Amino acid sequence: MANVSVAAEWQLLYNRYYRKPELYPMRWKHVDLARHKVAGAPFGGPVAVIRDDSKIVQLHAESALRKLRLFNSAGHPLADAVWRHPGGRLIGMSWNDDLTLVCVVQDGTIYRYDLHAQLVEPNISMGKECFEQNVADCAFWGNGVVCITEQNQLFCIPDFRNPKPVPLADPMIDEPPRCIAVIEPQYTMSGNVEVLLGVADDPVVLVVEEDGVQRLGEGLLRGPLQKMVVSRDGKWLASFTHDGRLLVTTSDLTGIIIERECESSLPPEQIAWCGMDAVLLYWDDMLLMMGPDGDPVHYLYDEPIILIPECDGVRILSNTSMEFLQRVPDSTVSIFTIGSTSPAALLYDALDHFDRRSAKADENLRLIKPSLPEAVEACVDASGHEFDVSRQRTLLRAASYGQAFCSNFQRDRIQEMCKILRVLNAVRNPEIGIPLSIQQYKLLSPSVLIGRLINAHRHLLALRISEYLGMNQEVVIMHWACSKITASLSIPDATLLDILLDKLKLCKGISYAAVAAHADKNGRRKLAAMLVDHEPRSSKQVPLLLSIGEEDTALMKATESGDIDLVYLVLFHIWQKRQSLEFFGTIQARPLARDLFITYARCYKHEYLKDFFLSTGQLQDVAFLLWKESWEFVKNPMASKGSPLHGPRIKLIEKAQSLFAETKEHVFESKAAEEHAKLLRIQHELEVTTKQAIFVDSSISDTIRTCIVLGNHRAAMRVKTEFKVSEKRWYWLKVFALATIKDWVALEKFSKEKRPPIGYRPFVEACIEADEKAEAIKYIPKLADPRERAESYARIGLVKEAADAASQAKDGELLGRLKLTFAQNAAASSIFDTLRDRLSFPGAS
Amino acid sequence: MAQIPNLDNAPINLISIREQSQKELINILKNEHGVELRHLSADHIQTDCTKVVYLVRSQPNLMRHICSNIHHDESKGLQREYHVYFVPRRTVVCEKVLEEEKLHNMVTIGEYPLYIVPMDEDVLSFELDLAYKECQVDGDTSSLWHIAKAIHKLEFSFGVIPNLRAKGKASVRVADILNRMQAEEPVNSSDFLNIKNGSIELDASIMGLQQEGKKTKVPLNSSDKLFKEIRDLNFEVVVQILRQKATSMKQDYTEMTTTSQSVSELKDFVKKLNSLPEITRHINLAQHLTTFTSKPSFMGQLDMEHTIVESQSYDICFDYIEELIHKQEPLTTVLRLLILFSVTNSGLPKKHFDYLRRELLHSYGFEHITTLNNLEKAGLFKKQESRSNWLTIKRALQLVVEDTDTANPNDISYVFSGYAPLSIRLIQHAIRSGWRPVEEILKLLPGPHLETKRGAFSNSPSFDSLSGVSTGIAKVPDGRRALVLVVFVGGVTFAEISALRFLCSQEGMAYDLIIATTKIVNGQTLVETFMEKLG
Repeated sequence: MANVSVAAEWQLLYNRYYRKPELYPMRWKHVDLARHKVAGAPFGGPVAVIRDDSKIVQLHAESALRKLRLFNSAGHPLADAVWRHPGGRLIGMSWNDDLTLVCVVQDGTIYRYDLHAQLVEPNISMGKECFEQNVADCAFWGNGVVCITEQNQLFCIPDFRNPKPVPLADPMIDEPPRCIAVIEPQYTMSGNVEVLLGVADDPVVLVVEEDGVQRLGEGLLRGPLQKMVVSRDGKWLASFTHDGRLLVTTSDLTGIIIERECESSLPPEQIAWCGMDAVLLYWDDMLLMMGPDGDPVHYLYDEPIILIPECDGVRILSNTSMEFLQRVPDSTVSIFTIGSTSPAALLYDALDHFDRRSAKADENLRLIKPSLPEAVEACVDASGHEFDVSRQRTLLRAASYGQAFCSNFQRDRIQEMCKILRVLNAVRNPEIGIPLSIQQYKLLSPSVLIGRLINAHRHLLALRISEYLGMNQEVVIMHWACSKITASLSIPDATLLDILLDKLKLCKGISYAAVAAHADKNGRRKLAAMLVDHEPRSSKQVPLLLSIGEEDTALMKATESGDIDLVYLVLFHIWQKRQSLEFFGTIQARPLARDLFITYARCYKHEYLKDFFLSTGQLQDVAFLLWKESWEFVKNPMASKGSPLHGPRIKLIEKAQSLFAETKEHVFESKAAEEHAKLLRIQHELEVTTKQAIFVDSSISDTIRTCIVLGNHRAAMRVKTEFKVSEKRWYWLKVFALATIKDWVALEKFSKEKRPPIGYRPFVEACIEADEKAEAIKYIPKLADPRERAESYARIGLVKEAADAASQAKDGELLGRLKLTFAQNAAASSIFDTLRDRLSFPGAS
Repeated sequence: MAQIPNLDNAPINLISIREQSQKELINILKNEHGVELRHLSADHIQTDCTKVVYLVRSQPNLMRHICSNIHHDESKGLQREYHVYFVPRRTVVCEKVLEEEKLHNMVTIGEYPLYIVPMDEDVLSFELDLAYKECQVDGDTSSLWHIAKAIHKLEFSFGVIPNLRAKGKASVRVADILNRMQAEEPVNSSDFLNIKNGSIELDASIMGLQQEGKKTKVPLNSSDKLFKEIRDLNFEVVVQILRQKATSMKQDYTEMTTTSQSVSELKDFVKKLNSLPEITRHINLAQHLTTFTSKPSFMGQLDMEHTIVESQSYDICFDYIEELIHKQEPLTTVLRLLILFSVTNSGLPKKHFDYLRRELLHSYGFEHITTLNNLEKAGLFKKQESRSNWLTIKRALQLVVEDTDTANPNDISYVFSGYAPLSIRLIQHAIRSGWRPVEEILKLLPGPHLETKRGAFSNSPSFDSLSGVSTGIAKVPDGRRALVLVVFVGGVTFAEISALRFLCSQEGMAYDLIIATTKIVNGQTLVETFMEKLG
């Protein structure tokens, strides 16, 4: 049976199976790991190799200059760069979390490379001490590094995103440590990195932190440690002792978990955790896997290997292949273990029978009916752990076959697994060379995977995957567009624009402005301008246009957007950058910008606004500003005090007047300003002669009234003449003024001076309003219009007279209204009814 | 908070809008104990508080006060923490003022995105008091962006408005900005409308009166049952209705004391008694108002407004206004009539224009030159440059209706005793048939007009919805009426609101109406926004 051959490849360690499938035969040529320093990134990441300058190696027809070469996990070359850095030997090299290759050289300089072997600027220095003392060794973790100098001083960079070297406490040792390991900051109590040092001739481990050194394992260890490695979760420490034992302790060295004799007392070249339940030790030719109990497993290698730890196993890189050593997952064990009768194994078997049209299939199914859902689940799960596509398919078919007989199995489970596997298989393709296991994939997360793909310039795959997984494609397209711009120096702007637009339009809401900003950063201002034109969000577009110096376009776009804030943004920008006259010219041509400028300047830049109006020839507006200023003297009494005749104020008004006079459209304003100045003069004189400060800043009409009220009729007459006040207005003013002081004699005299030009209505109204019926009766009969007479009588309550007048007027509507006025008065009401009847006006009620 | 209008019966969920604004305001004032409230003015703040929060509209001129406040504190050696929250958003120009005054490092800047204030269950206000003047006189169109933003925000809550109709330069611009916003930041049309069920449950809520010194503030909105009943009536009718109410109450009371009553009848009566304070209050109010409405000057003014609108007797109108000026009647009263007169005549002949302006300056003072200038810029009081087409418009839109029965109206003209407001007539047409049939008339009125369909509505296949001055909504499947949002750019009067409510209450009306406006105005307040005294 097929099952047998699967399990035949497994090794048993204690009570667990391990397997070591080959992920790829390495596609590289002429790479001998023995001659190189090698760094492999976790999560199926790339491999960096560079000739080891600490070893003496023979050169085979190659340059004496070393080359840093980057490969994917399948040995497919990614990029290379000639290593010309000064600073001495390369001490250590490792990939950090965002797949930047970090290289530490002897003088403490750190060179960083991206996936394309491009040096990431700037280089980092570990500091003066490292430079002077030389770096002897270093240890890396996800995002940091710790270096030890030849004088045994420790320095660390806790986070490459903020690369500042920090000195650690002095471990006070004379000899270099035998081995070094780190516990990542995320697993320590303090939140800072802890460095473990195995020191020579001292059966302790020193724990070095920023603020102190501790001695651990005293009494627990019987001699110095030769090799150490901390487990992935920071809890356990596996070490190789001076006398050839493997020791697994808690990472604070308080308890021994496992202690096993090894076959050699020579320290292994490499030591690594395989998952959480086995430790690998590598000597020349031999890889030993030790579990908590039982015999160790031996693997023999006739070529050098590199162990690359993963969260769920170890990748083993050799000159010729990339293998993955992992514990066989439980679901896989339950299906493929020899002689298994688990429901999952029977289901897998049933599918085989079904394919061969054997009735045994049905028998198998019947047998496992109650546990069918578990069986299906196991098959789905096992498929996820397979690297072999045909086996994935078989397992999924088994699951799907079982599911057909299973009513309560989660329907989308299989579909989901298919989705994951399609993504995994796609990135496992040797061209891409990211051999993620399902567990690694889940830990890494799809979005980080996509990030890695785009960093590797695998944009199309990244786009397909994000589309397939229903994720936002903007990140991918944006990165593609920016990379494309960087890489397309020789493509003309218009052509490149078309190429970019073609893809950018795939993603609704993508920021054209961001792409344009990138183009601008790459020195392609014209392309930037073309791109930003496609940005629909004016709030993004306008600031960018300003930053690339396209001010006029920015102003146009801001104006079109209707967003006043943007217009102001551009306005102030231009204002600051340009000479006044040029600025004035620009905004004069743009009404909205001009109006906004005026609104702002009216409040805060009064003088500057005058300059603007003068430069654009809007003299009347300057005049208005001056006229307005003239009132400032009123608000600010200090300014006018001591200046007779309100001199400065009047001067301003006169200046305004002459400016108005410059244009023939403003004759009216000019005349008004002239009158205003004249009025102020007269009012001032009046204040002097009357010794009363009540004239200035009242209107012409009010001045006349005040004069009359004060009994100064000559002055009133003078104002009337000076300002050519019409007879009509004069009569109203004088009548009301006389009524105010209740000078009824004078009023009557005035009424008889001549026939009033607007009749006697002012007299009647003034008397009624003053509630002087007796006076009113003198004038009512003189009203020409009988309707007015009727209403006036009605207002002073003379019903009979009102009725008489109304009947003279022969106005039904009027009668109705009067009747309403007297609604409370029954007698009056009946008078109007009688009248109405007599006039027989229908509809007047 | 008994005063704020109850929004439970609004056709869309306005409560959420209000609650959101409340929440944001509380966030701004969070954890502040002993908050003292002040109106922003040039006066310095007299307080012991060490923290000052300015809640200020993003108008550049207001920044002057904040600056002078802080400078004053500085000169007195007072150390305070300053926060400026801009309503509805921070703006470059306001921050520029702070920067020029070297204060931008002393203040913490925030935003209070208050775009809409529900004034009643069918009225939303953007509270842009100066929108009209700013657009027409200053050329500052900030308010148009604000309006578009507010509508766009509504769309985020209630879905895309599928049909848009606009008339006038500003409205068309709002529609344009709104469409830009939709392109920039699309409202997903699958987020479906959350139109609230318009079930009618009236709570007999009695508004508590708040004592403030001697003055009593009487809140007037839909929460007041009686007010809801009488507010949209013609002023001539109100007194009659109130009298009826009081009489029926009195009758009930008489019955109560003379005949024996069952307990449930007693209960009903007591319930009615509960509304007694309302009635008393409204009678008092109405009586107070009658002292104005029955004055000859009020009647005279109303008559004159009609005469001007009728546009048949130029000389009578001119003389009347001239006399008002000579008598130095309140300037706003004069300007109201003058504006109406000028607008219906599309300006006054130069001779009259200059004469009246001179008489105004002579009577009220030269400082009013700016007001006149503002009105001229806004086109409200100007020199005649072309023949007026008012008569044609008036006739075509039947703006003047003879024999209006104000008590039992059958046309919106009841609100002005025989004059149908032009804006509402247009909305009436827009609702009934869209712009097409009235295109010729629309061309007679200033400004362009626009009619567009926007992001189609998957859930409601075919319907002809519409909008008044801007915007329409959807017909909802379960028999409720579709919504029309009527947006007034520049302000709406209570009379216009009443007219719209009247339309809404007509049989055969297919839509619920929601009114949005920059501000609720009246002739007085509208004129006042243009008044600017030099000095």
